[in-house]
Amino acid sequence: MFLHVNDLTVDFATEDGVVHAVDELSFEVERGSTLGVVGESGSGKSVTSLAVLGLHDPRTSTISGSVLFEGKELLGAPRTAMERLRGDRIAMIFQDPLTSLSPYHTVGAQIAEVYRRHRGTSRSAAWERAIQMLDRVGIPQPKARAEDYPHQFSGGMRQRATIAMALVCDPGLLIADEPTTALDVTVQAQILDLLRELQEQSGTAIILITHDLGVVATAAHDVLVMYAGRAVERGTVREVLHEPRHPYTWGLLGSMPTLRRPVTEELRPVRGAPPSLLNVPKGCPFHPRCDFVELPGPRVCTGERPELSPPRGHGDACYLTMKQKREVAP
Amino acid sequence: MLRFAVRRTIATAITLVTISAVTFFLFFALPSDPALLACGKVCPPELLALVRRNLGLDQPVMAQFVAWLAGIFAGRDYPGLGYCPAPCLGYSFVNRAPVFETIMDRLPVTLSLTIGAAVIFLTFGVATGILAALRQGRPLDKVASVASLVGASVQIYFVGTLALYFLVYQGKLLPSPSYVPLTENPLGWATGLLLPWVVLAIIFTANYTRMTRSTMVENLSEDYVRTARAKGMPARTVILRFALRGTLIPIVTIFGVDLGTLIGGAIITETTFGLQGIGRLSVRAVTYSDLPTLMATVLVAAGAIVVMNAVVDALYAVIDPRVRLT
Amino acid sequence: MPSVRTVIAVLAAGALALTGACAPANQGAPPQGTSPQATPSAAASYSPPKISVGTAEDSRGPAIAPDGVVKGGTVTMIDRDDFSHLDPAQIYVNTEANFALLLHRGLTGYKRVAKGEYKLVGDLATDAGTASDGGRTWTFTLKDGVKWQDGTPITSADVKWTIERMFAPFITQGPTYIQQWLTQEDHRAAYEGPYGGKELDAIETPDDKTVVFRFKAPHADANYAFAMAGYNIVPKAKDTKEQYDKQPVSSGPYIIKSHVVDKSYQLERNPQWDAATDPIRGAYPDVWKLEFGQEALQITDRLVADAVADQQAFTFYALTPPERLQQVLSDQSLAPRRMISPSPYGNYYYFNLDRVKDIKIRQAVNHAWPGRQIQQIMGGPQAAALPTTILNENTTIGYESYDLFGKAAKPDGDIEKAKQLLAESSDPTPTIVYAYNQTPVQERVTVAIKNALEKAGITVVTKPMDRKTYYDSIGLVDNAFDLYWGGWGADWASGSTVLPVIFGPVADGAPNYSHLNDPALKAEMKKIAEMPDFDEQNAAWMRLDRKIQETITPLVVAENRIATMLHGSKVGGAEIDPQQWIVSPNTIFVKP
Repeated sequence: MFLHVNDLTVDFATEDGVVHAVDELSFEVERGSTLGVVGESGSGKSVTSLAVLGLHDPRTSTISGSVLFEGKELLGAPRTAMERLRGDRIAMIFQDPLTSLSPYHTVGAQIAEVYRRHRGTSRSAAWERAIQMLDRVGIPQPKARAEDYPHQFSGGMRQRATIAMALVCDPGLLIADEPTTALDVTVQAQILDLLRELQEQSGTAIILITHDLGVVATAAHDVLVMYAGRAVERGTVREVLHEPRHPYTWGLLGSMPTLRRPVTEELRPVRGAPPSLLNVPKGCPFHPRCDFVELPGPRVCTGERPELSPPRGHGDACYLTMKQKREVAP
Repeated sequence: MLRFAVRRTIATAITLVTISAVTFFLFFALPSDPALLACGKVCPPELLALVRRNLGLDQPVMAQFVAWLAGIFAGRDYPGLGYCPAPCLGYSFVNRAPVFETIMDRLPVTLSLTIGAAVIFLTFGVATGILAALRQGRPLDKVASVASLVGASVQIYFVGTLALYFLVYQGKLLPSPSYVPLTENPLGWATGLLLPWVVLAIIFTANYTRMTRSTMVENLSEDYVRTARAKGMPARTVILRFALRGTLIPIVTIFGVDLGTLIGGAIITETTFGLQGIGRLSVRAVTYSDLPTLMATVLVAAGAIVVMNAVVDALYAVIDPRVRLT
Repeated sequence: MPSVRTVIAVLAAGALALTGACAPANQGAPPQGTSPQATPSAAASYSPPKISVGTAEDSRGPAIAPDGVVKGGTVTMIDRDDFSHLDPAQIYVNTEANFALLLHRGLTGYKRVAKGEYKLVGDLATDAGTASDGGRTWTFTLKDGVKWQDGTPITSADVKWTIERMFAPFITQGPTYIQQWLTQEDHRAAYEGPYGGKELDAIETPDDKTVVFRFKAPHADANYAFAMAGYNIVPKAKDTKEQYDKQPVSSGPYIIKSHVVDKSYQLERNPQWDAATDPIRGAYPDVWKLEFGQEALQITDRLVADAVADQQAFTFYALTPPERLQQVLSDQSLAPRRMISPSPYGNYYYFNLDRVKDIKIRQAVNHAWPGRQIQQIMGGPQAAALPTTILNENTTIGYESYDLFGKAAKPDGDIEKAKQLLAESSDPTPTIVYAYNQTPVQERVTVAIKNALEKAGITVVTKPMDRKTYYDSIGLVDNAFDLYWGGWGADWASGSTVLPVIFGPVADGAPNYSHLNDPALKAEMKKIAEMPDFDEQNAAWMRLDRKIQETITPLVVAENRIATMLHGSKVGGAEIDPQQWIVSPNTIFVKP
């Protein structure tokens, strides 16, 4: 397996107590495929991706479990080894291309320095590569634009630039954390197309983190639905979007406008608010917001925490039986 | 850039003329009479009038100011004293020496003092600030915080006098502070100014440590710093090329102000260490109601601040490409 | 002699400059934790200088060398302020007059014969001058071999020129006695100076060596007047008018090698100066380095520390500041390097006679005066003396002490006596408005005065004044105060430069702060000033001093500050000149 995350747990020590940001999360990503990770904010999506890259501050966080990438364990790897890996074999792009690009350096320089860092080429070769990458992500007049600063770029162009920066070393894995959220809709589609196109060319695996199931539907092969730091449902895009099994996934889908649904139908947002990660509800963490908490029987949902089952393929973490699910599914 | 330079030059000239005018007119509102100091032991009104005429104080204040201003550009002829070539800042009331020469003699002292101290406090302040930011909440950070608090609350005349007493007079570890021109004896220049530099640095470093620490902490959590780390840039590069860059703006801002103020005269430092710089000269000028010298020191001080402000603004654009100079 | 007013104005203003500097004649801040009996009073063992007129023999060079003298080497002088004037005609202040000893010579001057003993001798002149016509005519003969720094001889024409040019309008600072005696009170109106080609006929030069001054009235002390630095000689051929103030021509033992304004001087030997012609200046060091810009505190610390670089250093005028006084006086290891001398100035609390009209009240204030408390506030007996006479013992030949108000016997004041006098007066419960220069020390002194006078039944209203305007305020004839402090310095050791001035014309800004305007007294002062015999004259001044206090009581004699200074361990011959109150360069030498 290309990337195998197993029982990943991330805790943060804060003044108010320990935040259980990710709890025994397991998932896999295959070469050349895209895993969409969805969930509300605070569900642990971004924390997971940063943990994979080893970007958490070891003084404030406790990380356990395993992150196997190309057969190598990343958790606990030496700092320098992680530094060499980041930007080279695993790259990441962030939500807001404006703030995630340095305002003090030219776009070209920011791309070139990654290449130079990991490939050890000359300054001019790195610069040529940066221009080439800008061209590849569809920036017109890349030679001239490389000299520009991020504030001289439009929002979409900036995200193209960050993609160029992330892909400059042909990484095996790209983690894209809400890459389209800060962009307007037409640009969103272009960026997703670009990612797909680049993936086809290079076979890069992508973890696409988003709260938007629409994005997942268009861009991902597999989906991982996260809630309160746990995986609550996992499967292919088709499985999860067309035959969702977990009440939370139902809620997510119900709260999303789609073209397939008649406009007269009301949108049903998930009631309540996500739980505090300082104090995750016992049992199924979703139970306080779940409409079907009584169905599995007295105190089942508040007892043991449900595991993702079945362990392979389309799985979900819920005590409802398949029958009950079919009956109550929207 | 050219537009900026032209605008700033004009603004600087206007500022300096305004400050000069205010100083000039305020001087005449003061109760002390420079003529009285230059008058004999028994000073009858006729003699006082004579002294006034000799010092040019019998002219209307406005005329005196215009003559002074004109002298800067065109030079000025002093009856009996000779021609004072441009830039003529006048002749001192007290010792009848051309003020410009005195200023030129004192400026290297103040510049040496300022630049030497600035190198020390900037280097140390920023370095400790960075370290404190990287070790937030750890012992080093706490030591730096306490040290900067102490440094910020002590005064030069206190630290300076203590240092003089223990290091120079009692301990005899350092020579008496003195100024030797750099061109004459670089080693003597450095040793003579070492104590004033260090003492000045003690007081100023604190400010830079605190400022660097707090902005550095902010900058370390910036998205682009995270991006730099995600790109696999080594920690050193992340800190120095990325996080520090954003920290430079507030540092440059206070550094410009501090440098300008110090060039205008580190009065207390110069007095404490008996250095003959612009600061001492200005105190002397006030003490002896020496208007031409006073005007010159005010010009130097104001000029230093105005110029440093322009330099700081220009540096903003160098540091941050989003800043546009207008 | 310096102008007290100028010195005070300069130093008081200087105090603004962050230091504790105080006017020398004014009350200094006391050292912290003063213990009154720590060391024996410096004043107790002090005896004023003996000054007399020397002979032609006394007037020959070289100067009498101090013990252990060594010639050569470099001496360093450190002080706060540079000298404003080098043109002798502009020199009045003691610091400048003292420096002038290194560069300029005059007709007469003071020769140190022994410690505390001085003789007025001929400097450029062969003797201290010959008076004739009852003191109206003074004749001086120049020595052979006296030369300017360019080697040309100093002639009688130079002497005449020197005095004539002092009438020119650009000369505003120097003394005016000789000019007035030769012409009239408003001397500038009588003669415009020599630059237009006009000579002053009252000065005659029968030959190159002889100069004769013809005064309008007898002046038995003219030879003393000529000893003032202001009457040092300027070469007729090299006079550059205003510019002479910057680049004078030396007639003395040194020439200026370099001068950075307000910063430094370097003096080197004047090869044309011949020690054999000079009875006054030892000129022992080869090189003089003067450094300015150091505050008294730093100078004291440097001299106390006596680091190698400072061992050959001394100061002309940096008095040990109050905060170091106790340390300097109590450290026995400093004793060989310590110099102590009481101020030569007269310091007075003047009554405004226009307002305090009853002599009984004025005498009551004198009796009630808390001299010792004020002395304590100023730093104790080592820091201040309690004089009882108007004339200062250091600057009065034939000085005789008297104590009319029992100040020596009862230094804490005699409240009973004061009450008794008040009871006899026109107003047993008078109110006194006391104006003072608002400094921390003066605040404390004022409280002491107020408490003491109020014990006697006098209501004291205090008026603090800004130090920059203090003298202007009390100098107004029409001021609204009853009592205020003022100082005056004698120009030579005779009452003639004190009493006729402080009881001279009443005018705004004039030094007659008590507004004493008594025709009989004026006539008497004129009579004494014109006495042909100098010693009789001095005796008469001393009698008049007492008589004024007895019959008029226009003032309370104020406390007198005592200066303490240090010099480096390799400086020899350093002494405070008791008349100038400054370390004289004449006897300074450096030990190898």
